[in-house]
Amino acid sequence: MSVAMATNGTPLVLVADDDPDILALVGFRLERAGYEVLPARDGEEALSLALERQPDLAIIDVMMPKLDGYEVTQRLRSNQATSGMPVILLTARVQEADITRGFEAGADDYIKKPFSPQELRARVQAILGRR
Amino acid sequence: MSLDAVVWAALALTAAGSLCAYALALRRLYLVRSDLRHRAGEERLRTVAVALAEGDLPQADEPAEEDLELVAELLARYSRHLTGEARSNIARFFERHGLVEREIMHLDDRAAWRRARAAFLLGDVCSLRALEPLLRALQDPSREVRSAAARSVGRLGSGDAVEPLVLALVERRVPRAVGGQALLTLGADALQPLRPLAVHPEAEVRAAAAELVGLLGEPGDAGLLISRLRDSSAEVRAKAARALGRLGAEEAAMELRAALGDRIGFVRANAAVALGLVGDRASASALLEVARSDEFDPAQAAARALARLYPQMLWSAARDRTSGPHLAEAADLTAAAR
Amino acid sequence: MIALRTAIEVLALVAFGYFAVLNTIYFVFTGLAWRAVRHYRLARSYSAVEEAFASPLTPPVSVLLPAFNEEAGIVESVRSLLGLRYPEFEVIVVNDGSFDGTLTRLAEAFDLVPARKAIRASLATARVRATYASRRHPELWVIDKENGGKADALNCGINTSRYPYFCAVDADAILEEDALLRVAKPILDDPGLVAATGGIVRIANGCRVEHGRVTNVRLPQSKLAVLQVVEYFRAFLVGRVGWSGVRSLLIISGAFGLFRRNLVEAAGGYAQGTVGEDVELVLRLHRYLRDRGEEYRIEFVPDPVAWTEAPEDFATLSRQRRRWQRGLGEALWRHRRVAFNPRYGLLGTLAVPYFLLFELAGPVIELVGYPAVVASAALGTLSPVFFVAFFVTAILVGIFLSISALLLEEFSFRRYGDDGDAVRMVAAAIGENLGYRQLVTVWRVLGLVDVARRRRGWGAQRRRGLGYAPVGGTSKGR
Repeated sequence: MSVAMATNGTPLVLVADDDPDILALVGFRLERAGYEVLPARDGEEALSLALERQPDLAIIDVMMPKLDGYEVTQRLRSNQATSGMPVILLTARVQEADITRGFEAGADDYIKKPFSPQELRARVQAILGRR
Repeated sequence: MSLDAVVWAALALTAAGSLCAYALALRRLYLVRSDLRHRAGEERLRTVAVALAEGDLPQADEPAEEDLELVAELLARYSRHLTGEARSNIARFFERHGLVEREIMHLDDRAAWRRARAAFLLGDVCSLRALEPLLRALQDPSREVRSAAARSVGRLGSGDAVEPLVLALVERRVPRAVGGQALLTLGADALQPLRPLAVHPEAEVRAAAAELVGLLGEPGDAGLLISRLRDSSAEVRAKAARALGRLGAEEAAMELRAALGDRIGFVRANAAVALGLVGDRASASALLEVARSDEFDPAQAAARALARLYPQMLWSAARDRTSGPHLAEAADLTAAAR
Repeated sequence: MIALRTAIEVLALVAFGYFAVLNTIYFVFTGLAWRAVRHYRLARSYSAVEEAFASPLTPPVSVLLPAFNEEAGIVESVRSLLGLRYPEFEVIVVNDGSFDGTLTRLAEAFDLVPARKAIRASLATARVRATYASRRHPELWVIDKENGGKADALNCGINTSRYPYFCAVDADAILEEDALLRVAKPILDDPGLVAATGGIVRIANGCRVEHGRVTNVRLPQSKLAVLQVVEYFRAFLVGRVGWSGVRSLLIISGAFGLFRRNLVEAAGGYAQGTVGEDVELVLRLHRYLRDRGEEYRIEFVPDPVAWTEAPEDFATLSRQRRRWQRGLGEALWRHRRVAFNPRYGLLGTLAVPYFLLFELAGPVIELVGYPAVVASAALGTLSPVFFVAFFVTAILVGIFLSISALLLEEFSFRRYGDDGDAVRMVAAAIGENLGYRQLVTVWRVLGLVDVARRRRGWGAQRRRGLGYAPVGGTSKGR
């Protein structure tokens, strides 16, 4: 599957979180690293933006209003157009049950909150670099 | 009651009522204005704050005096979501501008809520300079202050905090959930002082220690927890069983199976949960027995554990009508999940 | 003739005395509430609720939702519960023999499949017909049982729950995302001590509800509903906070309360045959724990919110208030032993007597006493000028108390951001005392009449109720 690029050639990353602080922090870090960032405030917005803009990577918070992160991931996976999109889940809870649930929903990786922006960037680079 | 008194009362009430309505209006106006100002400021300063957190802010763009408070507020909020270098950057910002010292001074304020808020904020900021004062705050007369201090001490990430935290827990100065969570936040550093507490004279302490070792521990801690399976207190036995499940300690399987026969129901239940997590297939038939004939909680736990361990055995057993409701429930649940 | 005169004078005096004492109590409570709510608001800045969300040490909760003919809103309600921010919980919907589409709606929306469920035999309930699990949501269970009333449904839910705590929620209540976390906070802080906690109920009419969450808080259009909004401020913010502060919280709203399961089981579960099962349970818990000499706390948390729908027409509102009064009467009657009994501490010497005299009997005193005051004035015992002045003052007292409750809300939670709403609330605070409260008093007296009547026909009623006609809907929480 070809990697859809944003119009100016930089990879597009969807960031979905209902907390505007996280959007600001993650967005800044990724933009600094040279990516274009597409913010979403809730699960529904995340899903529709993902389907519409076809980002190269989606970073999704688990606890969001309207549709939670697991549901968004599942729907992305079940939709042909987005089934190959890499998904990183952002989660405050890393009990075994939550991690399993995340992977079962189809996520590629998860990042625990509180997170290190450097580490986030490294993971994003790793996933996007593979393509 | 004279007429005059009543009339005066009426006048006083009218005045008071009107004052209240007036205060309401004023407060709204004030708050709306201050809210707008606040939000505008946040918008303006957000990029600066984020850049500061990333350590990416050129010297020239350092915030002006009057913006300092707002930036500090933003950074404290951000700090809650961050770890690693970003958090140290934020701590250094606070140190640079004397804000850490200011909050440390608030720790001596007369009002308990101010002390508590300062204690909490110092945990957001994560400057190690606050460690000593926060540890002292664990002895504060107000419970809320101690609680906030415990939470903050956990976030500071220093191994020196472990003993005082554990002491605060043991002496019940701090709520178990808060103190426990602080120790969990400190992570592996907390294990060393926690281990000996597993044999503390008070049962409640042993139980808390067992629980935390289960959440933080390394495989080598299994031995310690296995010994607690024979503790005199049921709560300790139950927590130890749970902990062994969390550690996934296969070597505990035999002892856990023995715990399936414990006198106390919730110990048996925890042992069953643990066996499911530990993954010992040999325990399947023991679990089956518990699921068939035991009291509600252990039977249900055993049925669910069996569902994890050995679904085929579960289904064939569930088909038998005499197996009891728990096996039926577990079987139907697994079927529904597919 | 003279006897009548004396009777009127005595009644008038009683009315004056009642008025003086009641309002003094209100003033004291307003003061207490200010302190407590301000403190709570400040404490929010260091309450670490987020950390509780992420912590494995937070105790798991079973959320119980009894439902009777709730097809209109049941799916939204359940969805909102499933989305609660809480680390570990299950949602158990108990379909209490609904004969509308409640079960079908649930089955469709949540992909239900029949699944056998083990149910404890600890509390006696009506027969369970079927149990369903959700394919999509492993934490959701739906129990379909024969009608038995709300208490019965809740007891069934208790029998089914896995976890050490249960949270009883009304079917039409919408909980805020953090509501469960906040209402559980006292339990997190003192797990061995806190037996039950209750949250605040606010009125959702007029608010925008999206995906099971209230997204925009506005006053309702209906004037009647606005009056209730202001009334709830006084009842909840002032009343309950005050009682919670003196360790005598009597009422945890049926719409939203968190309880320790084995305690409630040991005390016998929810009581059948009363519409005040929420008040009755809390009273019984107090008694159970005090009889055993155990140290405990039952607390009211002013922050976590359950949004409910308030009646917007007189008929429904009057039914609701009559039912509340009846429930209060039944509960207090069952536990009359507590009244004036020092063995039960402040609960027995202060709270229960207060409720008996001012909440239960109060409306009667008002209904009889105030006309007696008028009659006194007419007869000339009371100077008409004095009477008018007193009358005006009485209304002003009411207005002041209502406005101060508004002010308290403004300085603490400030949910109603719109300025137009603020003005309407002030107007309602005034209007509340010019007819609304009096009307409610009449309904409450009727409610008492209902209690008296029912009690005489108690045996007959019960037999008719069991298993024949539906015992009644899930009473909307107080």
